[in-house]
Amino acid sequence: MASDVEKKTMLPNMENRTLMARLGLPNWDSPEGRVWVNRLRDNVPFIAITLVILLFWFISGDRFMSVRNWTFIAQQTPVLLLLAFAQLLVVTTGSIDISVGSNLGFSAYMAALGMLWFGELGFIVGIFAAMLIGVLNGAIFSLFKISSFVTTLAMLIIVRAVLVIVSDGRSIYVSDQPMSNSNITSIEAKWLLDLGQFPQILYFTVLVAVLLWIVYEKTVFGQQLKALGGNEKVLRLTGISVNWFKIQVFAAAGFMVGLASFINLARSGAATVQAGEMLELDAIAAVALGGTVLTGGYGSVLKTVVGALTLTIVANGLTIAGVPPSWSRIARGLLLIIAIAISLNRKQIDVVK
Amino acid sequence: MNSPAKPILEVNSVSKAFGGVEALRDGSLKLSPGEVLAIVGANGAGKSTLIKIIAGVLTPDRGDISIKGKSIARQDHTVGFIRQMGVEVVYQDLAIVPNMTAPYNLFLGRVPRKFGIFVDEKKMQEKTREVLAELKVETVQSLKRPISEMSGGQQQSIAIGRAIAWGKEIVILDEPTAALGPNETQQVERVINEIRKRNTATILISHNLDQVFRLADRLVVVHQGNTSKEFMRNEVTIDELVKAITTG
Repeated sequence: MASDVEKKTMLPNMENRTLMARLGLPNWDSPEGRVWVNRLRDNVPFIAITLVILLFWFISGDRFMSVRNWTFIAQQTPVLLLLAFAQLLVVTTGSIDISVGSNLGFSAYMAALGMLWFGELGFIVGIFAAMLIGVLNGAIFSLFKISSFVTTLAMLIIVRAVLVIVSDGRSIYVSDQPMSNSNITSIEAKWLLDLGQFPQILYFTVLVAVLLWIVYEKTVFGQQLKALGGNEKVLRLTGISVNWFKIQVFAAAGFMVGLASFINLARSGAATVQAGEMLELDAIAAVALGGTVLTGGYGSVLKTVVGALTLTIVANGLTIAGVPPSWSRIARGLLLIIAIAISLNRKQIDVVK
Repeated sequence: MNSPAKPILEVNSVSKAFGGVEALRDGSLKLSPGEVLAIVGANGAGKSTLIKIIAGVLTPDRGDISIKGKSIARQDHTVGFIRQMGVEVVYQDLAIVPNMTAPYNLFLGRVPRKFGIFVDEKKMQEKTREVLAELKVETVQSLKRPISEMSGGQQQSIAIGRAIAWGKEIVILDEPTAALGPNETQQVERVINEIRKRNTATILISHNLDQVFRLADRLVVVHQGNTSKEFMRNEVTIDELVKAITTG
């Protein structure tokens, strides 16, 4: 039985209801209707990627739908995907980390330096460097109560500057044979370059994705990520140390950035000052295309994979179709807006800033 | 229940000021097992401050509380410690995490683990069914969907279920039905009566005086930061109570 208040709020939707009823569908504002709409919304990433693939197949035919091109896509996606995973962890809690691109450049350079100093296992220095940036982000954000956007924006600028200072603008190259040219700093690591190639790069990424899925869906840590995004105040009142948890979340995101930087080093064969520039935006876009609500509380590892793939496919498809890079960027920006517009549940948002 | 041998909770002259403003001057009360005690008072009288002190969210400036005859030391006056003593609170609109499942909300902060890091889903679902059955809450469709898909009454029942599942000694309900419709309020009141049968003590904060008279055994009036008056339910009329709330 509907209360008086409910009756009042239902009135404006009468027309909608009859229309939906005529189509044999439940009223979208009824409980069954809401479940139905939610289910549709849940599947947007899968519908989007299917449409995108069909579209480019239709436009470019076999040039798009070839083993060679899909191998290329499989090589292109991992760095973006690992960065998107880092973003997923943070976004699920309702925060954002826009320093991931700078962090990727910085930690890739630290990994290369580590290998230069300590030999092959020295790449671990890069992972630790990335986690350190994450811990700093988390600590500044939670202890000083500066919004994660501002904190990580500052970190984006600072970390890139530190990279320029540390590297003095010079790159470190990865090679598969000893280099004699003394003007170039290089490390010899064939295994690393091999890891950057198909299929090794794909195996590595799938392994990380599966492990992250387990963490995200099955562990207390993963559950708490979503709960923090859902209602932080309740968590505080139940005695959970929210500040400490936030630092852990940003550290975990830093770890993911560390893996991304490692794969980026393997794939590009060099640690450069520019590495990862603007990639933070692609990472956020991939998460959003994966249907993860930027206001926090929900998210999916599988759909983030779909989101990162969609973004890569669109970039790839537009290039094959001969669209100039600037127009391609515009198309991807529009795609981002459309994806977020569909995935948002506007009823739960009171104020947009 | 007038002069019980051993009160489960004693609040001894606690006070709390926020930046020079004394939200609570002198809060004192006693609570016996199985008793439903209502705290009533005007807005800003200090009710919320009083229960936040009892829950461990706030540390009193002066005074202390004892639970089961044991005085809580200043450094132990935290939510975590007081929860361990068997005290649980249901806040009016802060009770649940809407995007999580009913079982998660029931186990909030106490999620059972497997191998140290994994969530024990099966245990959570079993316990949730048990608690829902005990509270006679029916028609819960799915324990795997977000709790926000349930009705307001069911959501609040889960929040109260959490409190009584863990608050073996004392359950504090802060305006538990303020946001609910009449049917849902009835459901929650039924749940409160189930708590009484378990010999758990309940503190009820409510603006709804009819509800207070339906549920409470005893009433404490908070006026301008003081626990000014105390009545047995059957020794007071609504008019006398309203007078005590407005004039102290």
